[in-house]
Amino acid sequence: MIQKVLIANRGEIALRIVRACRELGIKTLAVYSEADVQSLHVQLADEAICIGGPKSSDSYLRADRILSAAEIADVDAIHPGYGFLSENAKFAEQCESCNIKFIGPKSKSIKMMGDKAVAKDTVKKAGVPTVPGSDGPVESEGEAVKIARKIGYPVIIKAVAGGGGRGMRIAHNDVSFAKEYHVARNEAEKAFGNGSVYIEKYIERPRHIEFQILADSHGKVIHLGERDCSIQRRHQKLIEESPSPFLNADLRKRMGKAAVKAATAAEYENAGTIEFLVDAKGNYYFIEMNTRIQVEHPVTEECTGIDLIKQQLHVANGEKLEFDQGDITFDKHAIECRINAEDPAHNFAPSPGTIGLYYAPGGHGVRIDSHVYSGYTIPPYYDSMIGKLVCFGSSRKVALEHAYRALSEYLIRGIKTTIPLHKAIMSDPVFIQGKATTAYMEDFLSRTPADLFI
Amino acid sequence: MKRSDLTEFAVEEEGFKLKIRRGVNGLPLVSTTRGSTTPFLPGAESTGQTASPVAPSAKSAATPGTATEVEEEGVIYVKSPMVGTFYGSPSPESKAFVEKGAKVTETTVVCIIEAMKIMNEIQAELKGTVLEILVENGQPVEYGQRLYKVKQG
Repeated sequence: MIQKVLIANRGEIALRIVRACRELGIKTLAVYSEADVQSLHVQLADEAICIGGPKSSDSYLRADRILSAAEIADVDAIHPGYGFLSENAKFAEQCESCNIKFIGPKSKSIKMMGDKAVAKDTVKKAGVPTVPGSDGPVESEGEAVKIARKIGYPVIIKAVAGGGGRGMRIAHNDVSFAKEYHVARNEAEKAFGNGSVYIEKYIERPRHIEFQILADSHGKVIHLGERDCSIQRRHQKLIEESPSPFLNADLRKRMGKAAVKAATAAEYENAGTIEFLVDAKGNYYFIEMNTRIQVEHPVTEECTGIDLIKQQLHVANGEKLEFDQGDITFDKHAIECRINAEDPAHNFAPSPGTIGLYYAPGGHGVRIDSHVYSGYTIPPYYDSMIGKLVCFGSSRKVALEHAYRALSEYLIRGIKTTIPLHKAIMSDPVFIQGKATTAYMEDFLSRTPADLFI
Repeated sequence: MKRSDLTEFAVEEEGFKLKIRRGVNGLPLVSTTRGSTTPFLPGAESTGQTASPVAPSAKSAATPGTATEVEEEGVIYVKSPMVGTFYGSPSPESKAFVEKGAKVTETTVVCIIEAMKIMNEIQAELKGTVLEILVENGQPVEYGQRLYKVKQG
């Protein structure tokens, strides 16, 4: 029985985990950096241990200090959240050898799906459609060019150790390929410590549609529907919604089955997500699996009514999932806007600093997942996301009405945020008609005057 | 205090002092000082639904050097560079590495912090005279926690 959980993360997800644990009667231990002393989850957790200086590399990424804290505080389990060590197979392995339950999949599933080329190969063998490309990393530029020509331009060069939208370069012909190939390798080496790359066909104007997976340790694997995450800027998601305005019942069924097949091939346990690209004709291709809980999990929670973090804790406890695939219903339409401390009117320049007045919207169909409060100082050492606004209703139209109204009420003074950007998107005809693909943001920004974001 | 006619109440134990005095409006004025025996894990004693935020910053012993406290003149601290268990001597039978009044330099080994079964020798990394030892043998310590109060020089 898990009685105490160490939360190896910060910000809004750490708060989310504290909340779920509290409701389940599980004690919480927050580990934090010196920059997060005033953080909300640190205040609300039952116990807290400082594990390092402000930089992530000196704190949240220090597996040794986290495990040390777990040992002296006698915890049963560690929740890694997302980012940081959540997809670090070595850390999961260390937890396993210390007899501390890692709230997530087995370390071998993380390892399998963490190598993007191995992941693709694994699901391909299970009969899941994948993007045409090199079967694994390319050994040389010569081989890479041959494959590019065989697949047909445009192609995308991806880092094997990448993920989360980083380490990718597009080439439209032989000439640009020669250049992008080397740039991609160098970037990958610097960012991930591994310069290996693989090649894929670049699908133009695809939709990014991912499926939420939940699996227990007794062999049951189900999906909880999709999230359409096509609204992205530089491969970073801004808005996610469920159901996808593009999918019909048949395509949803087929993709859902494929997602379950992929997770099963990875011998998956706990919560995870299978990402697909979908072209205009409804052809879908596996791109990667995220072996952790995701930022946008509340979209699925509001759509299905299922508390995913609590389910993670139940699964980690060894319990069987209490529902089957047929029990999952999609009652609401939900949409999430990621609120970042960035200035959309000035090229999204980061805007850390102290929040003066903070007033969060409420009312019917409005949920806020945020760790900030009036007087809180946003530290400059971490990512710029300060909260998530999740609106839901009986239809997409109602959800969007809630979202537009909530964004109009939302006050965060003292710093710049992306609230005005989201408001502008909510009133944009292309978005309202559900026609957005991953090409949307670039197009939207080019035709929308920047002073609309002030 | 309410039920009695007491206007003042004090108790003193090893490392713990409590004094309550009936205030002007009949409300108690409470002052406490905690010694080094206080566990640094703030929630260890908290009960009840509304967990009062016993944040680490509220406890002076555990504050990782934030600017909210007034520093005494010429006083510096040896702070823990890791998370683990503090030991003031090389073994249970031996003498402490340093006692009150001891002079330390940058390379003086002042204590051991055990992390994940590995004994790490911690150097002072400063120069001066030990004024006070702020933690106890076997006590869990966090990153940045003050271990030794030292008079600089």
